[in-house]
Amino acid sequence: MMQHDPTVEAMNATFRAEVGLICGSLVRITGDFDLAEDLVQDAVVVALQRWPVDGVPERPAAWLLQTARRRAIDRLRRDSTYRAKLQQLTDGWAPDVRTEPDDRLRLIFTCCHPALARDAQVALTLRAVMGMTTSQIAHAFLVSEATMAQRIVRAKRKIVAARIPYRMPDADELPERLAEVLASLYIVFNEGYLGSGPDLSTSRDLCADALWLCGLLARMLPDESEVLSLLALMRLHESRRATRFDSSGALVLLRDQDRSRWDHAAIAEAGGLLEHARRLGRPGAYWLQAAIAACHAEAPTFAETDWAQILALYGALVRINPGPVVRLNRAIALEHVAGPAPAMEEIDALRSELDGYHLYWATRAELLRRFGRHDEAADADRRAMELTDNPSERALLEARLDPTVIRAIGANNH
Amino acid sequence: MKYVLLFIRNEETDIDEASRSAHYAAIDEWFGELARDGKLRGGEELQPSNTATTIRPQEGRPLVTDGPFMESKENVAGFVTIDVADLDEAIAIAKSWPPDDQIVEIRPVVNHEDMSNHPVS
Repeated sequence: MMQHDPTVEAMNATFRAEVGLICGSLVRITGDFDLAEDLVQDAVVVALQRWPVDGVPERPAAWLLQTARRRAIDRLRRDSTYRAKLQQLTDGWAPDVRTEPDDRLRLIFTCCHPALARDAQVALTLRAVMGMTTSQIAHAFLVSEATMAQRIVRAKRKIVAARIPYRMPDADELPERLAEVLASLYIVFNEGYLGSGPDLSTSRDLCADALWLCGLLARMLPDESEVLSLLALMRLHESRRATRFDSSGALVLLRDQDRSRWDHAAIAEAGGLLEHARRLGRPGAYWLQAAIAACHAEAPTFAETDWAQILALYGALVRINPGPVVRLNRAIALEHVAGPAPAMEEIDALRSELDGYHLYWATRAELLRRFGRHDEAADADRRAMELTDNPSERALLEARLDPTVIRAIGANNH
Repeated sequence: MKYVLLFIRNEETDIDEASRSAHYAAIDEWFGELARDGKLRGGEELQPSNTATTIRPQEGRPLVTDGPFMESKENVAGFVTIDVADLDEAIAIAKSWPPDDQIVEIRPVVNHEDMSNHPVS
């Protein structure tokens, strides 16, 4: 499971709470995103070396600022280009630079600017707002540190060269710009949720980071329905995260999970968030996904799942987002409501679009078994296995190919 | 900060005569507003790409050929240089470009007075 070293957790909590504020303030003071972000990142790297030895300082924000300030002075000596900008930092910079929550919000919108590629948005947000190091981000997203470093450098160069501003979007741009931020946040959460395995220890829990940042956004933008909805969606996933693996580390499907171990307080809270979000505006894509997750989470048993409601919600979601994966999930709900034949029709129609998606083949295999087409089902399972590297999913598919084990897997089953 | 907006259009579709005057009236108004706001630094509408001549180095010598530098249905149909605060302002202006069947590419202009603004990859 996750590491529970108190020092690591204390450090991560400190970075989460402080780095975005400090970085945002430095961007405001220097007017230079690239420079400010580098200074804070340097301070984080030093902290990661010092704090495990010396302990987390009593005033960690002041410590980080002081370290960033020393870095600024070093640079000032080496590099005259930045002289004017750095002079402001080193002259007028009292140990407690005035940090403002709005600075952090502006920083988030800069990192998630639509002129930056999604993977760069995600990496920049984790670095500048959450204080993750390039090495940690590379590790979390399974790319080399050199690749990740290059991605970040390119994105920061573009911010400078194209002059991507450090400011809040205007009211008329806000929905579009917020959608970028939420999409990046959900990628972070999913990477943590789907990437985590029973025995994978990481130094940063991406789910906790994503939840924290989404919670912050919800406090700062309390009238934005989709922010509250994404927060509810993450909490609903999180509420049953502990039951996704059994004691031997094997993946447990939704229908087999021990529902008494789900976090029912979190589920109720998410329900409240969704009700509130519904009153704020027309249901968006996150609201619908969260409502579907709530249907699953609130069902006392798998058999009592309200599939008719889920099918209706998927219908609404398909109208907003007619992508093939949403249609695949809708087909699974359709099977529970109308039986395997109409579901199979939908699944057949999606074949060319989802040929490379392992859960398409796993879902198809399960449906083929309903019709007793066992050879075809086994072929589909093998195809699914070729397409996934996730060890837990592979183990489950292998078990299903073993004729002595009868289990099932589906796209919205885990 | 200067940006060039490149207007890209599918040359296989043509504007019908009936809507042509409305099309140019909307564009005139767009230019007029940019000029009044002091943000316009010039721009041109281009003849179609079948009028283009391309010169490319071939074995160290300039070779003159017929046609645009890249064969494509979509071609640059015009450009404008604007001087605005930042990319968000450039995006807002690009979004307001009247023809709804054209792509707009925004390219920041290199400022040779500012050494930190050298071309980047």
